[in-house]
Amino acid sequence: MAEHAILIVEDDSTVRELLKYRLGKHYEVFTATNGEEALQEIDDRIPDLIISDIMMPKMDGFALQSALQADKNTRVIPFIFLTARADEPARQEGARTGVDDYITKPFDMEQLLSRVERLLERVEMFQTQLDAEIGRDFSNRLLPDNVPSVEGYEFYFHSEAHEQGGGDLFDWSETDEGTYFLTIGDVMGKGLRAKFYAYSFLSYVRGTLHTLLQESSSPAAVMEHINDMLLEDEVLEDTFASFLLMHWDPAAHTVTYANAGHCRPVLLTENGPEIVEHSDLILGLEADASFSDATLSLAPNTALVAYTDGLMELPTTNGNMLGEDGVLEATATAYGSANPIDTLHETALEHSSEDSFQDDLLVVWLQRAK
Amino acid sequence: MSFDVESLSSETVVVHMGEALDFRNADSFKSTFQAHVEDGVRNFILDFSETEVLDSTGLGSIFSLYREISPDDGKVAFADVSRPVQVVVQLTRTYKVFRQFPSVQAAKEALA
Repeated sequence: MAEHAILIVEDDSTVRELLKYRLGKHYEVFTATNGEEALQEIDDRIPDLIISDIMMPKMDGFALQSALQADKNTRVIPFIFLTARADEPARQEGARTGVDDYITKPFDMEQLLSRVERLLERVEMFQTQLDAEIGRDFSNRLLPDNVPSVEGYEFYFHSEAHEQGGGDLFDWSETDEGTYFLTIGDVMGKGLRAKFYAYSFLSYVRGTLHTLLQESSSPAAVMEHINDMLLEDEVLEDTFASFLLMHWDPAAHTVTYANAGHCRPVLLTENGPEIVEHSDLILGLEADASFSDATLSLAPNTALVAYTDGLMELPTTNGNMLGEDGVLEATATAYGSANPIDTLHETALEHSSEDSFQDDLLVVWLQRAK
Repeated sequence: MSFDVESLSSETVVVHMGEALDFRNADSFKSTFQAHVEDGVRNFILDFSETEVLDSTGLGSIFSLYREISPDDGKVAFADVSRPVQVVVQLTRTYKVFRQFPSVQAAKEALA
């Protein structure tokens, strides 16, 4: 968490330096000697809280506060008046919209510090709640309500969105021929920003898939389009994503896929687990990147497990991450159990130093019946 | 946390990446390289000898650097890549874009 920045506006240098010294122990403090200077400082950088004197040359505290109220970018900054004017008219004038506190000189420093702390805590609490709410909303929209239901196959899907997580996404659609496109991805970055980009991105992918499927069913061809979009679209500039696009044909028992730098899936058969190795460059990095398809055939009882990096990056008790080897082992343990994703989850956590995942986790488990 | 940057010429620097590049310090890495890009630096040798953690946000910040300097023929080279970094580079297939060198010295000679 970045240090909070406080702007002190005070013409009396003794009071200004005292405040700077005491508040400077806990916060990043910058100062101005009057309202005009304060507005210039705020123009450079929006503080998290302002403490202002009232009587000052050039532009007084009331004028400063009115100017801040008039601008939507500065209206919500917590604002404390600190003044010698203890008389009732001044107090009434000070107690107006947008003023959070009014402290008269001489003031008790401890009291001022505790008010500042409380105000900042409250603002942060609102922000965290709002972020969590929007984050949950995005996460829900990034995931489907149900999974494909196909005779002769079991399809399991598990997702856990974490507030500190990133932009994991999963989507599927059925074609007219009774085949399915499965999209698993992870937009790089953390928190709301990643979720927002993932959401924009998924909308685009859904649209693109629909259009491209008229011409071709190649995941690699779709991947090229998505990569071009990431490099050309200004809104998505500086967005990178790993992506696994699979075209599943249940009648032919095949999965044709293209992998753009995403965690490599695991193929489980009675002979044991193996990594599905083929993959290409992550999306959004290189304009002329090429992608290619590979096809897996699914013999009876074969499972294909795709996941996001929350699983692989799970911290283990020995200070490392679960890694691809750990994922191989955990999927092998889960293979054959009644609810493989639950077993996979439990097995992974047994190796973990945490008792829950601290990142988004998404697992898709597709298995052909015996 | 700031990054230790060693200037080799007006165009080339070595950035010692330290123990971790992840969501906690990716922004700090971005402002570090930004300042050098503005000064005209085009080649970045990233020294990963001590790096134990490279997460997707951290890797994303390196991608941002690459996106910024590649139109001017800038290069991002990885030197003395530790095992955890190697894993990420393999998975994302980014070795196709970032040249790797066994040591900072070898990278210096190649890019000089």
